[in-house]
Amino acid sequence: MKKWWLAVVVLLLLTSCSSQDAGGPFPSKNIELVAPASPGGGWDTTARAMQKVFDDEGIVKKPIQVINKPGGGGEVGWKYLESRDGHSLAINSSLLITNNLLGQSDLSYQNFTPIAILATEWEAVVVPKGSEINSVKELMTKLKKDPKSLKIGVAPGLGNDDHLSFVQAAKTFGVNVPKLDFLVYKSGGDVATVLLGNHIDAATMSVSEAKEQYKAGRVKILAVSSPKRLKGLEKVPTWKEEGVDMVFPHWRGVMGPPNMSEEEIAYWDQRIGQMVKTDAWKEILKNNEWEPFYKDSGESKKFLEEQYQMYKHLLNDSGLTQ
Amino acid sequence: MGVNVQSMLEGLMTALEPGNLLWLAFGGFLGTIVGMLPGLGPATAVAVLIPITFGMDPTTALIMMAAIYYGAMYGGSRSSILLNTPGDGSAIAATFDGYPMAKKGQAGQALAISAIASLIGGLIAVIGFVLLAKPLAEFALKFGPAEYFLLMLFTLSAIVSLSIGNMTKGFISMSIGLLLSTVGVDLQSGVYRFTFDLPQLSEGVDFLVVIIGIYAVGEVLYNYLTIDQPLDKKKRDVGKIWVTKEQWKRSRWPILRSGPLGFIIGVLPGAGGSIASLLSYTTERQLSKRSDQFGKGAIEGLAAPESANNSASVGALIPLLTMGIPGSGTTAVMLGAIIMLGVKPGPLLFEDNPVMVWSLVNSMFIGNILLVLINILLVGLLVKILDTPPKMLYPLILVLSFVGTFTMNYSVVDFYILLLFGVIGLFMKILKFPIAPLILALIVGADMEQNFRKSLILSDGNLGVFFASPISIVLILMTVLSVCYPLIVNGFKKRKRTVEQRSTNI
Repeated sequence: MKKWWLAVVVLLLLTSCSSQDAGGPFPSKNIELVAPASPGGGWDTTARAMQKVFDDEGIVKKPIQVINKPGGGGEVGWKYLESRDGHSLAINSSLLITNNLLGQSDLSYQNFTPIAILATEWEAVVVPKGSEINSVKELMTKLKKDPKSLKIGVAPGLGNDDHLSFVQAAKTFGVNVPKLDFLVYKSGGDVATVLLGNHIDAATMSVSEAKEQYKAGRVKILAVSSPKRLKGLEKVPTWKEEGVDMVFPHWRGVMGPPNMSEEEIAYWDQRIGQMVKTDAWKEILKNNEWEPFYKDSGESKKFLEEQYQMYKHLLNDSGLTQ
Repeated sequence: MGVNVQSMLEGLMTALEPGNLLWLAFGGFLGTIVGMLPGLGPATAVAVLIPITFGMDPTTALIMMAAIYYGAMYGGSRSSILLNTPGDGSAIAATFDGYPMAKKGQAGQALAISAIASLIGGLIAVIGFVLLAKPLAEFALKFGPAEYFLLMLFTLSAIVSLSIGNMTKGFISMSIGLLLSTVGVDLQSGVYRFTFDLPQLSEGVDFLVVIIGIYAVGEVLYNYLTIDQPLDKKKRDVGKIWVTKEQWKRSRWPILRSGPLGFIIGVLPGAGGSIASLLSYTTERQLSKRSDQFGKGAIEGLAAPESANNSASVGALIPLLTMGIPGSGTTAVMLGAIIMLGVKPGPLLFEDNPVMVWSLVNSMFIGNILLVLINILLVGLLVKILDTPPKMLYPLILVLSFVGTFTMNYSVVDFYILLLFGVIGLFMKILKFPIAPLILALIVGADMEQNFRKSLILSDGNLGVFFASPISIVLILMTVLSVCYPLIVNGFKKRKRTVEQRSTNI
């Protein structure tokens, strides 16, 4: 009986060793996709979607593993990535930049190798259906008069895209932004709940979190941060139409550890470029209400630098940093 | 939602399709297993299975994921009863009387009644789902930050009132829990509190790690203290695997009362099984004529929370299915999974996809019955755990504790927290501090504080916000009542005693 157990253990050890075998052309071992969050959220979904498409379409031949490393608004997972090699990639978003600007993390985009920007969502400003406010102009006029007159729900933390897109818009209307009353919730679902219960006056959230409630007529969406009106929300104006020169993507991308070789970067550029063209990937984007926003490693690098500058200014405006 | 008979029948037919039945049984069985193992919860199990659901019919996926969820409620209490180690927050209440029952040699009966109570609670909740889903969802929306704060305050006061005669220790234990709950990033300000520059602590101390540490590791350490003492010569009796008539009589009403209670609390987003099972336990204890037997192996003290936590898990599906809002960690993962499959749960799901919803409801009926069979069949096997010699059992529990801890956050920092709380648990056991107040305070503490502050932001600092709605008033009254209850009981006892003394003096 005991020998039997021993055999199983030895077998397990052997198999786990063999998969670690390095050498040969890249990739020479299993691929790791790090989702720096618990299962269920946007980062996790993105990682699992990549895993599925890579695997199902035979784009990446090596086994792919999704690893959840939640904590610190992404920092735990990214720190882990820092110590890995080119076989590991991690999902990122603007939090990579804002955490650093807010002084909550030492890591920033410069510490990693940009691989790609994958997709984006857009931001929406939402009010309950019974609200007397019908446009962002009315909303902002009220807030300009008294910044504390409306309570605004946001998740999951100040300094994120939901919050900053609202800050940027409010700024152009001349609202005293640092005085605004934000109620910070853990998830977009929590914000939707209190909004439906009329406990808060307005909320800023991603379009996907508001769309179903909007279609059922339970909330009003006042504006979206996309360059053009969105499908399914044809009646909702963009910020541009409302006189705010703002296009605010809530993007998600993927990056590798520092010091990746040219060969490794080229490999991922080619494979991810292939992935975003598949029907399976497009289907996942559609189901999640994400939009294609693909940028390869070179474009991503430039994009991240632009975003860094933009967030730096925005965080100053919001009063969160000096 | 009017009950649409045609879609209901169609749903029943879908639920009875062999493929769906198979996945239902698989989900239920898997849920039972992960529920039993410390640290592995339904949320992890559903997340791990997401790749399997790709390419599945969304209805089948939903049926399976829901089965994991309520299956874990069945399984969670197994280790509570046999090892005094809850697998999850909602199984804590099952340790209060379940473990003493097992010690008294009634392990078989304890396992049986918990399965039966879970079944009845689950069935009550499914019926409640059919009849009340929409109105209850609307009711749940009325709970704003102030109401949530008061609900959590009520729960805490109820749990402290459990430690009658030992209130000071109960309060100390609760205060430690509340202190622990302040660790992590403060949502409102973004400030990191007590994290010692460890990003792993930014989301606070995971209460599951604390549960495993205090209960499992603490129990093992505690038993090492006494391991040299000769074991009881007589083999531990496990009792029959079925309940007696008298036991059933005692449990009947508590089960029937706790089902609806757990269901309603389950519907409230974020409240969940832990609060439901603890509140049903304290309610039954206060209603019972044998309240002195609670905590010493009263069967109704096990039946009530078991009924409540299972019905809460069904209730938690209501916000998800009626509004597209996940009410718990597990339902959040489920939401992500079904969105990937192209279903958009939202306020229109009932209208757009009635057959899917009704298939799920019907599958929950069938699933609960299946689970009782699975669990009753497992009783004979599980009670063998009690026969396992300690030198095998305790190392095994330690291994499971570490594995379970690691699978939660994949973080080594959690190991230190686990060990720390193992030692704390050991001392709490030696000094006879009640553990439940600490755990519950840790579970609700952070949300309680956030809701308190949000209420005050909403009211611009006016404390009147806590008295502003009928729900608030009711919750305040219940809180006052539950705090005063032990005092009243003590008062009565003292008076009785003095009266008796006087009469003997005369």
